[in-house]
Amino acid sequence: MVKTKSKIEEEIQAIFNVEKPWVTIVWDDPVNLMSYVTYVFMELFGFSKERATELMLKVHNEGKAIVSTGSREEMEHDVARLHEFGLWATLQRGDQAL
Amino acid sequence: MGNIATRRSSAVSEPAGFTRHGDNAFIAQFSASECEVLINLAGQIIELLSERADHGDDDPLAAMVGITSHDSPPDDEVLLRLLPNAYADGVDAAEFRRYTESVLRNKKKAHAMSMRVLLKSSQDGGIELDHENANAWLGAINDIRLALGVRLKVEERSHDELELLAPDDPLRGVYAVYSWLGWLQESLLQALMDDSANEVN
Repeated sequence: MVKTKSKIEEEIQAIFNVEKPWVTIVWDDPVNLMSYVTYVFMELFGFSKERATELMLKVHNEGKAIVSTGSREEMEHDVARLHEFGLWATLQRGDQAL
Repeated sequence: MGNIATRRSSAVSEPAGFTRHGDNAFIAQFSASECEVLINLAGQIIELLSERADHGDDDPLAAMVGITSHDSPPDDEVLLRLLPNAYADGVDAAEFRRYTESVLRNKKKAHAMSMRVLLKSSQDGGIELDHENANAWLGAINDIRLALGVRLKVEERSHDELELLAPDDPLRGVYAVYSWLGWLQESLLQALMDDSANEVN
């Protein structure tokens, strides 16, 4: 059976995802403006305005949201950049309870 | 997350805020007293971050690659909010802080300095930012708001409670500045995220 291009890409992605057990979490904060949090997500992660707004609302409504997933080193980099812009972020193993 | 105050104190005059001009220019006009407030606050952030300088007996080589002598979180509440822990676990947080805190401090200082220098060099309070400068200003304004927010105990007090501070309460003036900065930051964000302007190119 011929595999579709997207199927192959999915499988390749799965191979790399095995080594991605860490997550970056952004926590809600009473000072940071909703529009600011949205803008920072767009700037740092290259998210569309829609995707960034969705994540911002998750932080706002649920108190926290996972904003990126990857290796520990990658997540430390993301947390450092979020701290630079004053967002309250932490990283942890993805298999730990939020 | 934060709210924009609906009512502003008369202590700070109504500013025009930032507006977008073309593809990469964000312009605002500040009064002399507004310039003074912003320069002063940016200076205080720089000073606060500088107070947590690395100790003189540091290994110069370690200092050169950005390793700091600090591995415990700051005692000061404001500094702790500006330089938060990256891990819930204390050991991991200390290790991360040791290798990254001085870089973070310097980046935050650079944001505040960028704001301070532009305001000081402006003859008439007119400010023009490009995208990069705008990001530095957003970071600097946000750090000031975070610092004022800790002092105002925004975490514990409701928006209404802050709006209704007594006229003789010294925090009332702080809240007026805090609200004005939120409004200013919002105007810059709206100018930056103005989709119609992006579609031109």
